[in-house]
Amino acid sequence: MIDLRFDCVSKKYRIYRASEAEASPKKLRSLTRRLWGNANDFWALRDVSFEVERGEALGIIGQNGAGKSTILKLLYNITAPTKGRISINGRLAALIEVASGFHPDLTGRENVYLNGSLLGMKRREITKKLDSIVDFAGVSAFIDTPVKRYSSGMYLRLGFSIAAHLDPDILLLDEVLAVGDAQFQSKCIERINQLRNAGTTIVFVSHNLGAVESLCDRVFLLRQGEIFRSGSPRYAISEYEHMLTNTPASASLNLTSVEPSLAAQIISVAFFNSKGFRTTMFATGEEARIEVEYVVNEPLDDVVIEIYFYSIFGNLHSHFSTEANGDGLDLAPGRGLIEFLCPELPLEVASFNVEASIRRRGSSFTEHVDYKHAASVSIAKGKPVHGVFHTPHTWRTKKVEPSVYSTQSSDPKRSKLN
Amino acid sequence: MSNSLRNFSITAEAAKGRSGFRPTSEIRPPSLSGINIAANLAKLIQYKDLIGTLSVHRIKVRYKQSVLGVFWAVLQPLSIMLIFTFVFSLIARMPSDGAPYALFAYTALLPWNYFSAGVLNATNSLASHAQFVTKVYFPREILPITYVVAALFDFGVASTLLLGLMIYYRVSPTINVLYVLPILLVLTCFSLAMSFFFSATQVRFRDIGVAVPLLLQVWLFATPVIYPLSAVPARWRPIYVLNPMVGIIESFRQVVLRGSAPDSGSLLISAVISVILLVGCYIYFKLVEATMADFV
Repeated sequence: MIDLRFDCVSKKYRIYRASEAEASPKKLRSLTRRLWGNANDFWALRDVSFEVERGEALGIIGQNGAGKSTILKLLYNITAPTKGRISINGRLAALIEVASGFHPDLTGRENVYLNGSLLGMKRREITKKLDSIVDFAGVSAFIDTPVKRYSSGMYLRLGFSIAAHLDPDILLLDEVLAVGDAQFQSKCIERINQLRNAGTTIVFVSHNLGAVESLCDRVFLLRQGEIFRSGSPRYAISEYEHMLTNTPASASLNLTSVEPSLAAQIISVAFFNSKGFRTTMFATGEEARIEVEYVVNEPLDDVVIEIYFYSIFGNLHSHFSTEANGDGLDLAPGRGLIEFLCPELPLEVASFNVEASIRRRGSSFTEHVDYKHAASVSIAKGKPVHGVFHTPHTWRTKKVEPSVYSTQSSDPKRSKLN
Repeated sequence: MSNSLRNFSITAEAAKGRSGFRPTSEIRPPSLSGINIAANLAKLIQYKDLIGTLSVHRIKVRYKQSVLGVFWAVLQPLSIMLIFTFVFSLIARMPSDGAPYALFAYTALLPWNYFSAGVLNATNSLASHAQFVTKVYFPREILPITYVVAALFDFGVASTLLLGLMIYYRVSPTINVLYVLPILLVLTCFSLAMSFFFSATQVRFRDIGVAVPLLLQVWLFATPVIYPLSAVPARWRPIYVLNPMVGIIESFRQVVLRGSAPDSGSLLISAVISVILLVGCYIYFKLVEATMADFV
C-alpha cells in the first residue's frame, strides 16, 4: 500500500529583494513586477517523485535550502506545488510545536482547546485527552493560569504536547528533538516509537543524523531541490558526510581578520575523522582529531587551550584541554597549531556546539584571552550508549577455579544471608 | 513518565484496530478548474469545532481585562447613534420617515455595524495569524469567518438596546419583524464575500488594511443609515440600489420600525448580488489560499 506519492512535483518561489518586499515608495514598482512576474525564481524542488509505503519511516536530510522543509510544507498542504501532483492516503498530522499560536490572556486549558481544534481535533476528543495532554507537558498545576504567566519551557512543552496527542495515519516530523529538556525529549521519542509500532507512516526531516538513522527505514539526501541519493540510512548519511567534506567552508570557523589587540587569537578549528577527512559528523566511539590554529601577538606564558562541547541547551558535556597533563603552554609570537587526538569520542547521539578557548592557567572559567564558537558537531549512532556517555573499555574472559566456586556456595553464613 | 503515557497506549492500540477508513486527498497546483466548492464546504463542516472555538475565542479575548466587558457591544453603536442624533436631528434637520431620529439611526446602525466591524476585523485576519497560516493546515476561510461570527454576536447583544428603544418610543413590532432573519442571512452572505475578498488580498498587498477603513467610511454615507432612502433623488436610485447594503439596511428598518413587509425589489437585488459575490469571492479566496503561506 502506498500512503504518499509525489509525482514530478516542483515548487517555485519568487525572490524579492529586501527593498521590494518592504512597504515603501518602491512598492508600486514591486507591484508591477509582481504582476509581470519580473522577479527572480527559485526552484525549491525540481521534478521530485517518490512513494512512501504504509508503515514506512522515511528520513529526509540535506543542507539548508535543499528543499527538505518544502517537502513537508507541501505534504501538510501549507502551500501548493507549482507543478506535479501529490497523493495522500490517510489522515495526516505534523508533530510540531504550536505554542506560537497561544493567546497570552487565555488560560492553558483554553489554549489547549483552541490549538487542538486548530490541529483538526474535535472538541470531544480534546476533552477526553485534556488530562493526558496537560500531564505530558507537566503543567497540571497551572492549567487554569493564563499562559502569559508560563515559563518559556512550559509554553513550548504544552504546545508540543497537543500535537503529540494527535492520532494520525501519517506523521510528519520536523526537528522534533529541539523542544524541551532531555526528559521531555525522551517522552517525545517514546511517543514517536509508539506511533511507529502502531503502523503509522512517518516522514522525518532533520539535521540530527543520529536521530534519522535510529528512526528511519529509508533516507533521501536532497541537494538543490532534487533527490541526490536514496537508500538505507547508513548509506545516505555517509553520502551526506562525503558531500559536506567536499564543502569544507561550512565545516568550521575560519577567521580571515586578525585582531591585533588580543594577546592571542584562535584562527580556526577543524575536525577530522579516522580517514583524515575534514567533517563535523562523527559517531559515538569514533576516532577524532581536532586541529586548533592560533596566532600569538605577544608572548604568553602558562596558558591553556581548550575545546568545550556544549549541548544545544547550553550544558557542558565534555572538554579537551592542554592542561590534562598538569602543565601550561608557553606560546611564542606567531602562528601555531595544536592537535587534539581522541581515540574514542564518548559523546552520545546529539548535536553539540563546540567552543574553543585560550586562557591563562589558573584564571577563572570566564576570563579568556580569546573565546570563540568553533563549529556544530553532530554525533550519530556508533558504539551503543546506555546512559549519558560512552565509556571506552575493553574486556576479556577469565577462567574461574572450580574449587573457589564450590567453597563459596557451600559457605553456611552466605547461604543464610541469601 | 509511563504514567503520563497511559492514555497514549490506548490511542496507539486504537490506531492498530482502526477500521480501514482512510481519507484520500490529492494536491495539485492551484487552478480555477481544480476548485471544488462542495468538497471545500464538506471540509469546512469537518472543521466546525474550530469555527466554534475560534469564534468564542474572539469574543472572549475582546472583552477580557476590560471593565465594561460585553457592554461595549452596546456602547459603541449607542454612542455613534447619540452623535448622529445630536448632529442630524438637533443641528441639521435630517428627514427620518416620521420615526424618532434616535430610533431611526440606531435601527440602521445595528446591521451596518455588524457589516463594518465584521469586514474590518476579517480583513486583517490572515495577515495577523501568520503563525497559524505558515505552520498548520486548516481551511483558511475559517479565520475571516470567525470575525464575522463575532460581529454577529455583538449584533445580538446590541439588539437588546433596540428593543429598549422601541419600548421607550412605543413602537410595537408586527409579525413582519420575522423578515429580519432572511435579511440577516443576506447581510451575512455579503459580509463574508467582502471578508474573503479583502483578507485574501491583504495577504499580498498590505495596502488593503489601510484602504478598507477609509472605504467603509465612504460606504456608510453611500448607504441609507443617517438618512432615509426616500431622501435619495429618484433618478439616482437605479444605480444607488446596486450597493447591496442599500436593500439590506432599508429593508431592515422597514420591517422593524414600520412593521411592513420589505420592498422585495431592492432586497432581491441585494440578495442576488450578495450570493454571486459570495461564490466569486470564495473561489478567489481558495485560489489565493493555495500559496498564501508563501506571502503572508
